[in-house]
Amino acid sequence: MFRLLIPFVVLAAAILLIVGADRPAPRADFTFINRGDVTTLDYQQMSWQQDLRVAKIIGEGLVTNDVFSHEYAIIPGVADRWEVSADLRTYTFHLRDEKWSDGSRITTADFLYAWMRGLLPDVGADYAGFLQHIKGGRAFSDWRAQAIASFAKLNTGASDPSAAAALWQQTKQKFAELVSIRATDSHTIVVELERPTPYFLDMVGFPTFFPVCEAVVSRYENLDPATGRIKWNQDWTKPPNLVTNGPFEVESWKFKRDLRLRRNPYYWNQSAIGIDTMSIPTVEDSVSSVMAFETGAVDWVSDVLAAFRAEMVAHKNAFYAEHKSEYDSLKAQGLDPIEIDRRLPPDPRNNIHIFPAFGTYFWNFNCSRTLPDGRTNPLADPRVRRALALATDKRSIADGIRRVGEHQAPTLIPPHSIGNYNSPKGLEFNPEEARRLLAEAGYPGGKGFITLDLLITKDGGHELIAQTLAKDWERVLGINTTITVQEVKVFRERLKNKNYMTARASWFGDYGDPTSFLEISRTGDGNNDRAYSSSKFDALLDKAAKETDRTARLRILEEAERLLVEEDFPLLPIFYYVNMYLFDANKLTGISSHPRGDQLLYRVDLFKDGKGSDKPLSLPPLKPGEHHDGETES
Amino acid sequence: MLGLILRRLIQLPIILAVIYTLTLTLAWRIPGNPLENPEGRRPAPEVVAAMQAQYRLDSFWSFYWSYLDNASGIKYLRDTISGRAAEQTRAAEAAGLAPPTRLIFDLGPSLQYRDQRVNEIIASALPVSMALGATAILIALVIGVIAGVAGAIKPNSFADFLTLAIALVGISLPTFVIGAALLLIFPVLLGWGRIPSWGRPIDLLLPAFTLSLPFAAYIARLTRLGMIEQLQSDYIRTARAKGVSESSVLFKHALKNAFLPVLSYLGPAAAYAMTGSFVVERVFVIPGMGQHFVNAVQNKDLFLIIGVVLIYASMLIIFNLIVDVLYRWADPRIE
Repeated sequence: MFRLLIPFVVLAAAILLIVGADRPAPRADFTFINRGDVTTLDYQQMSWQQDLRVAKIIGEGLVTNDVFSHEYAIIPGVADRWEVSADLRTYTFHLRDEKWSDGSRITTADFLYAWMRGLLPDVGADYAGFLQHIKGGRAFSDWRAQAIASFAKLNTGASDPSAAAALWQQTKQKFAELVSIRATDSHTIVVELERPTPYFLDMVGFPTFFPVCEAVVSRYENLDPATGRIKWNQDWTKPPNLVTNGPFEVESWKFKRDLRLRRNPYYWNQSAIGIDTMSIPTVEDSVSSVMAFETGAVDWVSDVLAAFRAEMVAHKNAFYAEHKSEYDSLKAQGLDPIEIDRRLPPDPRNNIHIFPAFGTYFWNFNCSRTLPDGRTNPLADPRVRRALALATDKRSIADGIRRVGEHQAPTLIPPHSIGNYNSPKGLEFNPEEARRLLAEAGYPGGKGFITLDLLITKDGGHELIAQTLAKDWERVLGINTTITVQEVKVFRERLKNKNYMTARASWFGDYGDPTSFLEISRTGDGNNDRAYSSSKFDALLDKAAKETDRTARLRILEEAERLLVEEDFPLLPIFYYVNMYLFDANKLTGISSHPRGDQLLYRVDLFKDGKGSDKPLSLPPLKPGEHHDGETES
Repeated sequence: MLGLILRRLIQLPIILAVIYTLTLTLAWRIPGNPLENPEGRRPAPEVVAAMQAQYRLDSFWSFYWSYLDNASGIKYLRDTISGRAAEQTRAAEAAGLAPPTRLIFDLGPSLQYRDQRVNEIIASALPVSMALGATAILIALVIGVIAGVAGAIKPNSFADFLTLAIALVGISLPTFVIGAALLLIFPVLLGWGRIPSWGRPIDLLLPAFTLSLPFAAYIARLTRLGMIEQLQSDYIRTARAKGVSESSVLFKHALKNAFLPVLSYLGPAAAYAMTGSFVVERVFVIPGMGQHFVNAVQNKDLFLIIGVVLIYASMLIIFNLIVDVLYRWADPRIE
């Protein structure tokens, strides 16, 4: 019998060895749960929100946004000042003397190298389009794609390292030749744009534009002699190889365990930093992340997705109701909601925070002339789409199903999220008008109408919303509906191939300009899943692109959005998203409630920890009548 | 014995090649584009084409052979023997570049986690899952054997029904319910343990216990059956007649033989437990392999799918081999 025990004793010893080898590091000053696990630390390849969020802690572009100003002001980053030409097409940036986290100087060449990477089809940047606003950017991307294609044709079978190296040299020359970015001296970068682009500075603050340390990253270049492509050996993004220029640097990255950051001693603006270390553990389960917060293991949960979150919101509202007079007077002062929470008595119910987000939940209508099975598509008629929109009771979805304080959406772009942009009114729920329009389109009382299919994905609570829509449309318009549930990859393919009738959708803005939401409805745009094509709408976008007067431009774009949400309805906005955070406002500061949703987490400061100024940060109070950005009357 | 081990080890690569072919054929047919995010902005078509070519996702056979070449170690051998590897390292050094990373069994890059290689992902996740799984199996053995023996002493007694009831609960209650309940009771309400549950040996207890329950239930039933059968056999009657103490009868004589069916169940059970449980790892926030089985398929992360499937298959084969060896060692009658 004892003989049998031996293997198990050996096993137990091995377990202790494995676990002991992976000891957890001491708690960081600030620990938070990100939206998901970081997929890459290569700025040019990033497109997930969790990656972009970390990028803004460890990196910095020429400029950045002040998340504690209502207008999301552009503030200095690596550039301490800049000039914009009157035609909004030439931007001159003056770099300060700044250092990388390894102590070497940041040069203009580092920016040029990073931007070239972003434009290479080899890198596969989802946001290459941002860099293609620069004059010659698209031409360079296209040239490189062509060059690789012809290289592969000429080099079939043979693999010649010198040919690939020659192509890479040629590519670098082409970049200098074609793309209008010039380093006029060691501290100045002049960028010329394709068109006047008033939101270009906003984009420059986006991680796709962040510099990488050329001296380090270029050591990881890897040319494929067979295809002529360039790849970067993934090791460059892993500490200690990774060299960054932001307020923090990466101390360790244990995949699926945690990402640990420490203060970068070479960062220029040390006074903005109130903590020394940060840790981002990987917690993917929504319930576990709430429990991790409850046990004090984390300070901030960036996305509360647990099924009981509506109850958490209800508890907070009950707390507000208990302190109604205090709450109302603080609100009347126009205070930032976080500041209001800080001034109310401490209460654990108050740890959930809901702020408007820069995104909208909507439904797509397939606007193609024919359906995938060859039948005529009644949804091609704008009157039918408008009828469906008028027959939708959005309020019951926002208040009855979502129940987390989201507002029903009459428009695509969240109102007040972009300075000086006046959102169109949109259309109210109006069953009579809906029936009249459907009859006018040739389907009185729904007669002769196809069975309308609603396409959704499994998770994310779309099923209840689809059922509500189906019920509204059946009841008001008398049409028949079906609901189809698909895996997300299949769903995505069907949308791309326009193989659907109506489908759930969402969009988040990337930069503070209406075009961030409107370009997806342009004819032929890669993200126009609706096959919507309106020459009138396209003409408005073109006109706005040429307009250099900011106000006049916004008026044109307002008209374009009005076309979408009052007349044509290629999409049906349902509600504006909110960000749901979990943190104790009395314990820390530095989280912004701005509806653009970006966080500059190096501003986080824990109260009474002996580090930082402990000064609470918040958006400045508003005068009576003004809105907190993103707020809507409901 | 040596012959058995050799034979199985020779079979291993052949079985793996067949499994690889089947997995790739199935995974290739998963709809959707692995290089595209499930939500939000789509990359430009030129970018998608370039990336597909880079990862050889544009042709099944090109992918099939290049992956086989890299993952089997053939390419590593070829480059080493032909001197190409040394030449590349020299060239990189001459150009001031970091020398290319060479892996013997190169399972490729992850398409989802672009900074990670599948080898790195498995190297970081597999030990975690193995530790968790092994702890769970040990706990399951203790609980299962005790419960099984207790039930077998007096079949159909109260103790027997109690262990049956517990076993049924262990098998039927989903682990995410048990796991969430344990988390709520211990770390959240009582302040014992923490989330994420990884880092200290003590942290392993809750997740390992959760993971062990279905195995414990199965082992309890196997032990009970075996014990009842053994206790009715002639040699036990002889032992009792000779006046051997009851505890000696139970543990020294009967359990030794009753344990053999449990041992043969332990092979696949250990492979299953040690390659990770998606639910337990997710609820307790443990950085193991389980998540990759599910996420890789959802993301159509081809390299990762094949990587984790090959690892699971290898472990299944190796654990069955270990069990067979242990079997012979424990019971010399078996040849």
